[in-house]
Amino acid sequence: MTLAPDATARAARPLITSLIDEATVGAIAGEAWVALVGEEELLVPVPGALPEDALSTWVDVVGPWTGSVVLTAGHGTAVELTRALLAEATPAVLEPEDVTDAFGEIANVVGGNVKAALPGPSTLSLPQVGDAPAVRNPDDVCRVEVLWRGQPLVITVQGALPSTSPQHENPHHENPQHENPHHENPHPNGVSL
Amino acid sequence: MRALVIDDSRAMRRIVTGILGGLGYETRQAGHGQEALDVLHEGWVPDLCTIDWNMPVMDGLQFVNAVRANPAWRPVTLVMVTSESEQSQIVRALAAGAHEYVIKPFTADALRDKLALLGLLPQEAVL
Repeated sequence: MTLAPDATARAARPLITSLIDEATVGAIAGEAWVALVGEEELLVPVPGALPEDALSTWVDVVGPWTGSVVLTAGHGTAVELTRALLAEATPAVLEPEDVTDAFGEIANVVGGNVKAALPGPSTLSLPQVGDAPAVRNPDDVCRVEVLWRGQPLVITVQGALPSTSPQHENPHHENPQHENPHHENPHPNGVSL
Repeated sequence: MRALVIDDSRAMRRIVTGILGGLGYETRQAGHGQEALDVLHEGWVPDLCTIDWNMPVMDGLQFVNAVRANPAWRPVTLVMVTSESEQSQIVRALAAGAHEYVIKPFTADALRDKLALLGLLPQEAVL
Protein backbone atom coordinates (compact mmCIF):
# COMPACT_ATOMS: atom_id res chain seq x y z
CA MET A 1 0.00 0.00 0.00
CA THR A 2 1.24 3.47 -0.82
CA LEU A 3 0.47 6.28 1.60
CA ALA A 4 -0.66 9.63 0.30
CA PRO A 5 2.03 12.33 0.78
CA ASP A 6 0.12 13.96 3.64
CA ALA A 7 -0.32 10.65 5.42
CA THR A 8 3.37 9.86 4.96
CA ALA A 9 4.38 13.19 6.49
CA ARG A 10 2.05 12.68 9.44
CA ALA A 11 3.32 9.16 9.99
CA ALA A 12 6.93 10.36 9.92
CA ARG A 13 6.59 13.22 12.39
CA PRO A 14 8.20 12.51 15.74
CA LEU A 15 6.35 12.34 19.04
CA ILE A 16 7.71 14.46 21.86
CA THR A 17 8.29 11.36 23.96
CA SER A 18 10.93 10.23 21.46
CA LEU A 19 12.69 13.61 21.60
CA ILE A 20 12.78 14.67 25.24
CA ASP A 21 12.01 13.06 28.58
CA GLU A 22 10.45 14.28 31.80
CA ALA A 23 13.81 14.46 33.56
CA THR A 24 15.19 16.83 30.93
CA VAL A 25 12.12 19.07 31.02
CA GLY A 26 12.26 19.06 34.82
CA ALA A 27 15.96 19.96 34.76
CA ILE A 28 15.35 22.84 32.31
CA ALA A 29 12.56 24.21 34.49
CA GLY A 30 14.63 23.77 37.64
CA GLU A 31 17.53 25.68 36.13
CA ALA A 32 15.20 28.48 35.06
CA TRP A 33 13.76 28.66 38.57
CA VAL A 34 17.13 28.92 40.26
CA ALA A 35 18.32 31.65 37.87
CA LEU A 36 15.10 33.67 37.61
CA VAL A 37 13.30 33.11 40.88
CA GLY A 38 16.16 32.54 43.31
CA GLU A 39 19.01 30.24 44.26
CA GLU A 40 17.02 28.66 47.08
CA GLU A 41 13.94 28.09 44.94
CA LEU A 42 13.54 24.42 44.17
CA LEU A 43 10.94 22.56 42.16
CA VAL A 44 10.05 19.39 44.03
CA PRO A 45 8.95 16.54 41.75
CA VAL A 46 5.71 15.80 43.60
CA PRO A 47 2.31 16.01 41.90
CA GLY A 48 -0.45 18.17 43.34
CA ALA A 49 -3.98 19.13 42.36
CA LEU A 50 -4.25 22.42 40.51
CA PRO A 51 -6.75 24.89 41.98
CA GLU A 52 -9.91 26.00 40.17
CA ASP A 53 -8.39 29.34 39.21
CA ALA A 54 -5.45 27.74 37.41
CA LEU A 55 -3.80 29.92 34.78
CA SER A 56 -1.60 28.82 31.92
CA THR A 57 1.19 30.47 29.99
CA TRP A 58 2.79 28.98 26.92
CA VAL A 59 5.02 29.44 23.91
CA ASP A 60 4.62 27.61 20.63
CA VAL A 61 7.48 25.78 18.94
CA VAL A 62 7.23 25.31 15.17
CA GLY A 63 9.73 23.04 13.44
CA PRO A 64 10.38 19.35 12.91
CA TRP A 65 8.28 18.95 16.07
CA THR A 66 5.44 21.43 16.46
CA GLY A 67 3.60 22.11 19.69
CA SER A 68 3.52 24.16 22.85
CA VAL A 69 5.46 24.38 26.08
CA VAL A 70 2.81 25.11 28.71
CA LEU A 71 3.22 26.13 32.34
CA THR A 72 0.08 25.92 34.51
CA ALA A 73 -0.33 27.09 38.09
CA GLY A 74 -2.90 28.61 40.39
CA HIS A 75 -3.45 32.35 40.09
CA GLY A 76 -2.00 32.93 43.55
CA THR A 77 1.10 30.97 42.59
CA ALA A 78 1.48 33.09 39.45
CA VAL A 79 1.31 36.24 41.59
CA GLU A 80 3.85 34.83 44.03
CA LEU A 81 6.10 33.89 41.10
CA THR A 82 5.87 37.44 39.77
CA ARG A 83 6.94 38.90 43.11
CA ALA A 84 9.82 36.43 43.33
CA LEU A 85 10.93 37.13 39.76
CA LEU A 86 10.86 40.89 40.14
CA ALA A 87 12.29 40.83 43.69
CA GLU A 88 13.25 44.38 44.66
CA ALA A 89 11.95 45.62 41.29
CA THR A 90 8.40 44.61 42.27
CA PRO A 91 6.13 47.65 41.97
CA ALA A 92 4.23 48.80 45.05
CA VAL A 93 0.97 47.81 43.37
CA LEU A 94 1.16 44.67 41.26
CA GLU A 95 -1.07 45.05 38.20
CA PRO A 96 -2.62 42.04 36.39
CA GLU A 97 -0.40 42.93 33.42
CA ASP A 98 2.65 42.49 35.64
CA VAL A 99 1.53 38.94 36.42
CA THR A 100 0.81 37.95 32.81
CA ASP A 101 4.09 39.52 31.72
CA ALA A 102 6.25 37.81 34.35
CA PHE A 103 4.43 34.48 34.11
CA GLY A 104 4.81 34.63 30.33
CA GLU A 105 8.49 35.40 30.55
CA ILE A 106 9.04 32.26 32.61
CA ALA A 107 7.29 30.23 29.89
CA ASN A 108 9.47 31.98 27.32
CA VAL A 109 12.67 31.00 29.12
CA VAL A 110 11.60 27.40 29.76
CA GLY A 111 10.20 27.07 26.23
CA GLY A 112 13.32 28.50 24.61
CA ASN A 113 15.50 25.99 26.36
CA VAL A 114 13.14 23.10 25.58
CA LYS A 115 13.24 24.17 21.93
CA ALA A 116 17.03 24.06 22.00
CA ALA A 117 16.86 20.43 23.14
CA LEU A 118 14.60 19.48 20.21
CA PRO A 119 15.63 18.92 16.59
CA GLY A 120 15.84 22.22 14.73
CA PRO A 121 15.63 24.59 13.17
CA SER A 122 12.51 25.73 14.98
CA THR A 123 10.85 29.03 15.71
CA LEU A 124 9.50 30.19 19.04
CA SER A 125 6.37 32.29 19.44
CA LEU A 126 5.85 35.14 21.85
CA PRO A 127 4.44 33.92 25.16
CA GLN A 128 0.70 33.91 25.74
CA VAL A 129 -1.35 33.66 28.91
CA GLY A 130 -4.84 32.28 29.33
CA ASP A 131 -6.53 28.90 29.17
CA ALA A 132 -4.13 26.12 28.23
CA PRO A 133 -4.21 24.84 24.65
CA ALA A 134 -5.95 21.50 24.30
CA VAL A 135 -3.99 18.27 24.19
CA ARG A 136 -4.45 17.07 20.60
CA ASN A 137 -2.67 13.76 20.95
CA PRO A 138 -2.23 12.17 24.38
CA ASP A 139 0.77 10.22 23.03
CA ASP A 140 2.52 13.48 22.09
CA VAL A 141 2.80 14.92 25.59
CA CYS A 142 5.64 15.13 28.08
CA ARG A 143 4.19 16.15 31.43
CA VAL A 144 6.06 17.19 34.57
CA GLU A 145 4.29 17.89 37.86
CA VAL A 146 6.13 19.71 40.61
CA LEU A 147 5.59 21.71 43.77
CA TRP A 148 7.03 25.18 44.24
CA ARG A 149 6.74 26.56 47.78
CA GLY A 150 4.22 23.77 48.32
CA GLN A 151 2.01 24.86 45.45
CA PRO A 152 1.41 22.70 42.36
CA LEU A 153 2.83 23.56 38.97
CA VAL A 154 2.44 21.56 35.78
CA ILE A 155 4.78 21.83 32.81
CA THR A 156 3.68 20.12 29.62
CA VAL A 157 5.38 19.88 26.26
CA GLN A 158 2.50 18.93 24.00
CA GLY A 159 2.14 18.40 20.29
CA ALA A 160 -0.15 20.67 18.26
CA LEU A 161 -1.18 18.03 15.77
CA PRO A 162 -3.82 15.33 16.17
CA SER A 163 -2.91 11.70 16.46
CA THR A 164 -2.53 9.64 13.32
CA SER A 165 -4.32 6.94 15.28
CA PRO A 166 -8.12 7.04 14.68
CA GLN A 167 -9.09 6.79 18.36
CA HIS A 168 -7.12 9.97 19.15
CA GLU A 169 -8.44 12.21 16.40
CA ASN A 170 -10.45 14.46 18.72
CA PRO A 171 -8.90 16.99 21.11
CA HIS A 172 -8.27 15.32 24.45
CA HIS A 173 -9.33 17.25 27.51
CA GLU A 174 -7.46 15.61 30.31
CA ASN A 175 -5.03 17.88 32.12
CA PRO A 176 -3.85 20.50 32.82
CA GLN A 177 -7.16 21.99 33.85
CA HIS A 178 -8.87 24.77 31.93
CA GLU A 179 -7.73 23.76 28.49
CA ASN A 180 -8.65 25.75 25.44
CA PRO A 181 -10.44 23.41 23.01
CA HIS A 182 -9.79 25.72 20.03
CA HIS A 183 -6.03 25.46 19.85
CA GLU A 184 -5.92 25.23 16.05
CA ASN A 185 -7.06 28.85 15.92
CA PRO A 186 -3.98 29.71 17.87
CA HIS A 187 -4.94 30.41 21.43
CA PRO A 188 -7.98 32.68 21.00
CA ASN A 189 -8.25 33.13 24.75
CA GLY A 190 -4.59 33.89 25.15
CA VAL A 191 -3.07 37.27 25.74
CA SER A 192 -0.17 38.02 23.46
CA LEU A 193 2.62 39.58 25.47
CA MET B 1 28.16 54.69 30.58
CA ARG B 2 24.77 54.28 28.97
CA ALA B 3 22.77 51.11 28.34
CA LEU B 4 19.56 50.57 26.42
CA VAL B 5 17.61 47.50 27.60
CA ILE B 6 15.40 46.08 24.83
CA ASP B 7 12.88 43.38 25.77
CA ASP B 8 9.14 42.99 25.30
CA SER B 9 8.84 41.65 28.84
CA ARG B 10 8.54 44.41 31.42
CA ALA B 11 9.71 41.97 34.07
CA MET B 12 12.88 41.17 32.18
CA ARG B 13 13.50 44.86 31.45
CA ARG B 14 13.21 45.62 35.16
CA ILE B 15 15.60 42.79 36.04
CA VAL B 16 18.26 43.72 33.45
CA THR B 17 17.91 47.42 34.22
CA GLY B 18 18.39 46.64 37.91
CA ILE B 19 21.57 44.70 37.23
CA LEU B 20 23.02 47.35 34.91
CA GLY B 21 21.97 50.18 37.21
CA GLY B 22 23.76 48.41 40.03
CA LEU B 23 26.90 48.34 37.92
CA GLY B 24 26.68 52.09 37.44
CA TYR B 25 25.01 52.33 34.05
CA GLU B 26 22.57 55.08 33.12
CA THR B 27 19.75 53.07 31.55
CA ARG B 28 16.74 53.45 29.29
CA GLN B 29 14.28 50.80 28.17
CA ALA B 30 12.49 49.84 24.95
CA GLY B 31 9.76 47.24 24.42
CA HIS B 32 10.83 46.24 20.91
CA GLY B 33 13.40 46.99 18.24
CA GLN B 34 11.57 49.89 16.61
CA GLU B 35 11.13 51.65 19.93
CA ALA B 36 14.86 51.17 20.52
CA LEU B 37 15.70 52.62 17.10
CA ASP B 38 13.53 55.62 17.96
CA VAL B 39 15.66 56.19 21.07
CA LEU B 40 18.85 56.10 18.99
CA HIS B 41 17.37 58.41 16.35
CA GLU B 42 16.50 60.98 19.01
CA GLY B 43 20.22 61.13 19.80
CA TRP B 44 20.45 59.02 22.94
CA VAL B 45 23.19 56.67 21.71
CA PRO B 46 24.21 54.10 24.34
CA ASP B 47 27.49 52.30 24.88
CA LEU B 48 25.58 49.02 25.26
CA CYS B 49 22.31 47.53 24.04
CA THR B 50 20.97 44.33 25.59
CA ILE B 51 18.57 42.80 23.09
CA ASP B 52 15.90 40.15 23.36
CA TRP B 53 15.32 38.12 20.18
CA ASN B 54 11.58 37.45 20.02
CA MET B 55 9.69 40.72 20.23
CA PRO B 56 6.67 42.20 18.45
CA VAL B 57 6.97 44.96 15.82
CA MET B 58 10.73 44.55 15.29
CA ASP B 59 12.66 41.56 16.61
CA GLY B 60 16.16 41.58 17.99
CA LEU B 61 17.89 40.35 14.85
CA GLN B 62 16.20 43.05 12.74
CA PHE B 63 17.35 45.62 15.29
CA VAL B 64 20.95 44.38 15.11
CA ASN B 65 20.85 44.62 11.31
CA ALA B 66 19.41 48.14 11.48
CA VAL B 67 22.05 49.36 13.92
CA ARG B 68 24.88 47.82 11.95
CA ALA B 69 23.59 49.49 8.76
CA ASN B 70 24.23 52.92 10.27
CA PRO B 71 27.96 53.79 10.53
CA ALA B 72 27.22 56.43 13.18
CA TRP B 73 26.14 53.66 15.56
CA ARG B 74 29.17 51.45 14.96
CA PRO B 75 30.58 52.07 18.49
CA VAL B 76 27.45 50.65 20.14
CA THR B 77 28.09 47.22 21.66
CA LEU B 78 25.22 44.80 21.02
CA VAL B 79 24.59 41.92 23.41
CA MET B 80 21.76 39.48 22.73
CA VAL B 81 19.98 38.46 25.97
CA THR B 82 17.50 35.83 24.92
CA SER B 83 16.04 32.39 25.45
CA GLU B 84 16.86 31.54 21.81
CA SER B 85 19.67 29.11 22.50
CA GLU B 86 19.96 27.08 19.30
CA GLN B 87 23.51 27.13 17.96
CA SER B 88 22.29 28.29 14.56
CA GLN B 89 20.53 31.28 16.12
CA ILE B 90 23.65 32.30 18.03
CA VAL B 91 25.68 32.14 14.80
CA ARG B 92 23.07 34.25 12.97
CA ALA B 93 23.12 36.94 15.64
CA LEU B 94 26.91 37.12 15.80
CA ALA B 95 27.16 37.16 11.99
CA ALA B 96 24.70 40.06 11.90
CA GLY B 97 26.93 42.08 14.19
CA ALA B 98 26.08 41.22 17.78
CA HIS B 99 29.16 41.15 20.02
CA GLU B 100 28.00 38.68 22.65
CA TYR B 101 25.18 36.31 23.47
CA VAL B 102 23.68 35.70 26.91
CA ILE B 103 21.17 32.88 27.17
CA LYS B 104 18.19 33.19 29.52
CA PRO B 105 18.05 32.19 32.26
CA PHE B 106 21.16 34.01 33.40
CA THR B 107 22.47 35.31 36.70
CA ALA B 108 23.62 38.84 37.47
CA ASP B 109 27.16 37.50 37.77
CA ALA B 110 26.98 35.90 34.30
CA LEU B 111 25.92 39.20 32.71
CA ARG B 112 28.58 41.09 34.65
CA ASP B 113 31.24 38.60 33.47
CA LYS B 114 30.20 39.06 29.82
CA LEU B 115 30.43 42.83 30.18
CA ALA B 116 33.84 42.52 31.83
CA LEU B 117 35.05 40.45 28.85
CA LEU B 118 33.83 43.22 26.55
CA GLY B 119 35.54 45.91 28.64
CA LEU B 120 32.16 47.43 29.37
CA LEU B 121 32.11 47.59 33.14
CA PRO B 122 31.73 51.16 34.36
CA GLN B 123 34.70 52.28 36.46
CA GLU B 124 32.74 52.09 39.72
CA ALA B 125 31.88 48.43 39.04
CA VAL B 126 35.53 47.53 38.46
CA LEU B 127 36.75 49.07 41.69
